[in-house]
Amino acid sequence: MTVTTAPEAALGVLPRADGSAKYSHAGYTVTASVNGPIEAQRRDEHPYEAHVDVIVRPAAGVGGTRERHLESILQSSLTQIILVKNFPRSLIQIVLQVEDTPENDYVNTKLVQASLSFAIMPALFQTAVLALLSAGVPMRATATATAVAIVPQDGTKKSVVDPSPRDVEIAQSVHVLAFTSHDELLLAESEGDFTVKEWDDVYETAKDVCCRPVPTKEGMEMVLDDEHTNGPDLRHFLRSTMENKVASDLHWK
Amino acid sequence: MATASPAPSGPQPSLTFTRPVFAKLSPHPYLLRTLSPDSPDQQPTRNNGRSPHQPRPIQINTSSLSQAHGSSLVRTGDTTVICGVRGELLPVTAIPQFRPHNGTLYDQDEDDEARARKELKDYDLLVPNIELATGCAPQFLPGVPPTTLAQTVSTRVYSLLHGAGVVDGRGLRVWYTPEIKKEEEGEMEVEEEEEQEEQKPQVVAFWVLYIDLLFVSFDGNPFDAAWAAVLAALRDTKLPAARWDPDREMVVCRKGADTRLNIRGLPVACSAAVFLEKEHAEVGRGEGNRHWILLDPDRSEEGLCKEVVTVVVDCSEGETRVRSIEKQGGTVVGRELIRGFVGVAEGRWREVKEAMGN
Repeated sequence: MTVTTAPEAALGVLPRADGSAKYSHAGYTVTASVNGPIEAQRRDEHPYEAHVDVIVRPAAGVGGTRERHLESILQSSLTQIILVKNFPRSLIQIVLQVEDTPENDYVNTKLVQASLSFAIMPALFQTAVLALLSAGVPMRATATATAVAIVPQDGTKKSVVDPSPRDVEIAQSVHVLAFTSHDELLLAESEGDFTVKEWDDVYETAKDVCCRPVPTKEGMEMVLDDEHTNGPDLRHFLRSTMENKVASDLHWK
Repeated sequence: MATASPAPSGPQPSLTFTRPVFAKLSPHPYLLRTLSPDSPDQQPTRNNGRSPHQPRPIQINTSSLSQAHGSSLVRTGDTTVICGVRGELLPVTAIPQFRPHNGTLYDQDEDDEARARKELKDYDLLVPNIELATGCAPQFLPGVPPTTLAQTVSTRVYSLLHGAGVVDGRGLRVWYTPEIKKEEEGEMEVEEEEEQEEQKPQVVAFWVLYIDLLFVSFDGNPFDAAWAAVLAALRDTKLPAARWDPDREMVVCRKGADTRLNIRGLPVACSAAVFLEKEHAEVGRGEGNRHWILLDPDRSEEGLCKEVVTVVVDCSEGETRVRSIEKQGGTVVGRELIRGFVGVAEGRWREVKEAMGN
C-alpha cells in the first residue's frame, strides 16, 4: 500500500497566471496558480502589508468547512515566508486545485469528508511554495512540509513518512510538519494519541525529510551511503526543480 | 500633570491620554511596555492584569438547558459559550451503503471498539456546529454567512472528537433481538436453521449527536472554551432508552430510563499566542527579537499575535497523553518550546478537571 514514488513537479503549467506549478507525490496531485501582487479588494486591503489569499478547491464537489480550515492554516504559514511588507495594499492570490487523491480500497469513499485533511496538507503546501517561486513572489525563505504517521505494527510502533489513506486510518497519530529553509519549525499539526517522546521522534524524522543538509560526499561514496533511506529529500527536490526550470528557460542563450 | 493644580475655570482639555486611550491608539507598543517593565522588581503583566503564563479561571455549569439531552455553559473571562447536545435517531434503513457487521451485543473486545469508531466517522454520528452570535464581539456582523473562524473552530472540534475518540460509539447503537414466536415453532422445523440465523441481535438504528455551540460573548481563545463546553456537555448527556418496536416498525423511546453516555478520557485544550517585540521583524533573523508566550490570549492580544499554539493533553490515565498539537503562523515556537508548553497544558488540565467537578 505504501506509495514510495519520488515527488514530481512541473513549473509554469498555466500560461495565463503569473506563476503556476503542478506537483504530485504520494498519490496526491495538486495544481496551483499564483497571481500577485494585484489590486486588493477594499475589505482585504491592509495599509502595511499584502493580503495573502489562499483558495483550496477539492477534487470533487465544492469546498466546505474542511477547506476553510486548510486555507486558514496555509494562509497564516505562507504569510510568514512571503515578504508581505514589500507590497502594501495589494493582494497575492494562491489558488490550489486538488486533482487527484489516493484511493483507499478498504473504506467506502465519501465525497464530503470533514476530517482526513492531514495527509493532503504537505502536497498543498509544497505546490503553493513552488507556484510562488514560479511567480517570482519575493520570499524570505522557502519551506518544505511532510506528513508522518505512527502506525502500530506487530506490537510495536513504526513511523511512516507520507502515509497512505490506509495508514492514516489505522494510525495512532498523524503529524504534519513544515520547516523553513532556515531549519525553523513553521507549522506543526498533530492529531491522535501520542506522547511527547513520540512527537520528538516524529520531529526528527520530519526534519530529516524536510531539511536534509546538502550531501558533502561525492560520487560513489554518496551512492553507497544508505544512511538516509527514510523518505525523499524535499529541500533538494525543491532546489533541483527550480534549477531545471531555470536551465530550460535559458536554453536559447 | 493637570491634576496637580485645580483647574481655574471650566474643564480644561488635558494634553495627556489615559491608559485605555493609549491601549486603543497603539496597542502593540502599549502591550510591549507593560510586558517589559523598566525596573527589574516589577513583574511583566499584560493589559488585562494577568501575567504571561496566567490563564483566565474557568467556570463550568452543566444541565442548564432543559430541552437538550446534555448541555453545558463554559465561561473563561469574557468568553462565554453554551453547548447543547441533542440525540436524534437514525434508522439503518436511512443510511445509504449501510453495512451490517457481524458483532454481537456483548462484544467488548478491541475489534468492536475500532468498529464503533469507524461507524462514528462513516455514518457521521457526531455533528458539531458552532455559531458566533451577532454581537458577541464587534467583528461579527448580522446576516452574513458563517465566518472563517466559525468554520475553522467547527472543523477542529470535529477532528478532535474523532481523533481523540472521546465518544464510545457502542453507546450510540440501538439493538434489536428478534423473539422466537411460540406458535410458529412447531410448523417451521424445517426452516429452523434459517430461523437461528435471524435470532441474532442486530443494530436497527443509531443515535446521532447534534452538538451545537453558541458563543454568547467572545473575548479570544474560542477553541479552548468550545472544546471544554463540548466535553462537559457530552459528559452530561443522557440518552433515553430506545428499543425497536417490530409491530410499528419503528424505534420507540421510553422516558425515565436514561443512560449516560460513555465518555473516554478528559482531553483539555490549552492555547497560547506568541507576542513579538518587533511587529514587523523578519522571520529567519529573529534572534534579536524578544518574544512572550501569552497563555489564554484575549481578543485584543489575538489581534496583535500571529503565531498561535494549541496543545490538547489528557492526564487522566496517569501518563500524559497528547491528543493534538497545532502550531501555525510563525517560527518562534520550536521543539523545546512545544515540549515546555505540554507541561503548561498539564497545569491547565488540572484546573479544568477541577472545574468539571469530578
